[in-house]
Amino acid sequence: MDFALPDDLIELQQAVREFAQREIQPLAAELDRRPRYPWASLRKMGAMGLLGILTPEAYGGLGLGHLAYAVLLEEVAAADASHATIAAVTNGMPQALLVAHGSDAQRQRWLPRLARGEWIGAFCLTEAHAGSDAAALRSRADRVAGGYRLNGSKAWITSGGEAQLYLVLAKTEPEAGARGVSAFLLEKGTPGLAFGAPEPKMGQHAAIATGLTFEDVFVPADQRLGAEGQGFVMAMAALDGGRVGIAAQALGIARAAFEAAARYAGEREAFGQPIREFQGVGFKIADMATRIEAARLLTLRAAWLMDRGFRATKEVSMAKLAASETANFVCDAAVQVFGGYGYSADYPVERYLRDARVTTIYEGTSEVQRIVIARQVHRELGR
Amino acid sequence: MIIVTYVKHVPDAEARLRAAGDRLDLEDVAFALDGMDEYGVEQAVRLREAGVASEVVALALGPGGADAALRTALALGADRAVLLETDDDLDPLAQAGPLARAVRDAGAELVFVGGKQADWDSAALGPALAEALGWPLCDWTTELRLEGGELVAVHDVDDGSEAWRAPLPAVVTTQQGLNEPRYPTLPNIMKARRKPFDRRALVGEVPRVLTLAAAPLSRARRGVRI
Repeated sequence: MDFALPDDLIELQQAVREFAQREIQPLAAELDRRPRYPWASLRKMGAMGLLGILTPEAYGGLGLGHLAYAVLLEEVAAADASHATIAAVTNGMPQALLVAHGSDAQRQRWLPRLARGEWIGAFCLTEAHAGSDAAALRSRADRVAGGYRLNGSKAWITSGGEAQLYLVLAKTEPEAGARGVSAFLLEKGTPGLAFGAPEPKMGQHAAIATGLTFEDVFVPADQRLGAEGQGFVMAMAALDGGRVGIAAQALGIARAAFEAAARYAGEREAFGQPIREFQGVGFKIADMATRIEAARLLTLRAAWLMDRGFRATKEVSMAKLAASETANFVCDAAVQVFGGYGYSADYPVERYLRDARVTTIYEGTSEVQRIVIARQVHRELGR
Repeated sequence: MIIVTYVKHVPDAEARLRAAGDRLDLEDVAFALDGMDEYGVEQAVRLREAGVASEVVALALGPGGADAALRTALALGADRAVLLETDDDLDPLAQAGPLARAVRDAGAELVFVGGKQADWDSAALGPALAEALGWPLCDWTTELRLEGGELVAVHDVDDGSEAWRAPLPAVVTTQQGLNEPRYPTLPNIMKARRKPFDRRALVGEVPRVLTLAAAPLSRARRGVRI
């Protein structure tokens, strides 16, 4: 049993840490105050290789596994959560699904631009009334000559209006529940595809999210990904990878908050000593460190299992649950350690708390993760 | 033209150093490419990209594990690496001889060396290497051009700057201002692992300067808050 990261990966981790701290971290506070989609720094991330981590080298990506993906995404998130969200979506969903299920022509057409970060990919599952309950999707794709006609709407689409490629899930068999869902690839600029205004939200302001509407959007048959009716099954499998990404992101935010709090507790004095000398603060720091370490071990192990070809649905959900709950605990504790300054927008910890909040919600809420874990546990017991 | 760019493996600028007896304790200290040497790597790679140079060789001297600097240089674009391996603590004058031989081996006409080395803050290596090679030296260079087979190098002086013209082959020491070094990107770090890496044992070199004792700065010198 070896808990050390491979030397090769440590080298990549250090390069990304340096890059992210120099090129991304300094933008974070301003992007939070005045939200805009951070194209300039995303281009740099693309040149760095961070927008095609899992995509094979033959298609312009790095061809790395999920362990590397988790380690590198944590570094991005420690600099800014919004950049990590945009990266996690384009890496983990459209590219991962194209790699797994795309035809050769589809891969050639879209992967190189996505992997190099010239294009950003978006993943369009959620609707106003349906997230994890895919059977309730209302967007529909009706068969017409030469392809499909899409109608409906999507909500909370990260990179909406900015991304150039949209992976859309819509029902080809409205009566067939989750098995009636198919996946389609739409380019920005397709007639009938329109975007709403950016959603005002609590945190991660630069990870612009919008609604999407389809009005009689014609999609040629060669832009359907995978077989008809397989859309939901494919998306669920890809979400295992996606959840590793969110776990890693949550770890990065937690680490940034923890490091800020630990440093501050050593500098700030009260009653004649640094506040970390008070057990009330010291124990908080200890709990923060311990929970981050535990969540990181779960996350890296889940990624490691995936890289070895194991179906790791339960472990991935455990990692996502633990890391996102840890991020919320740690960021909240960091605000407390900072006291009044923690509540001030002049210090970064209140932003970390707002950025972390959504990690227990998107890519499946903590409650959904528990459903997944419980179901797997019951299955294993039944064997 | 072949360019050799010297790279030094030094403790990371943010590493915390401790004394162990009369020596520095370098266990668990992260090492990195000396920031001063990055300008030379960047300049050499730019000259190759511009078609002026045909090959960039990164050259280092130090213990066998001291290859982080060379790996970084390869990731930044150097074509191959040469490490002269020795566990001896060689001062700049003692290093200059074997480095000069390696430069001649490579068939280089231009050598870049950082203006000074971050570990001992010594600025002696560039001049010592130029002396060992018998080549002209342009030091502390902030601007460099090649004009008709000659170098034009600019460096700062107290009341402005000076430009020098020097024939090739030559040694150039580099500093901040010469260029803005690029980042090693992940694809280039991965490609660097497949580039030639030549390790040669260095034996028989004798240090000219010996360290007799080393002591940590007094901890009593703490700032007073006013």
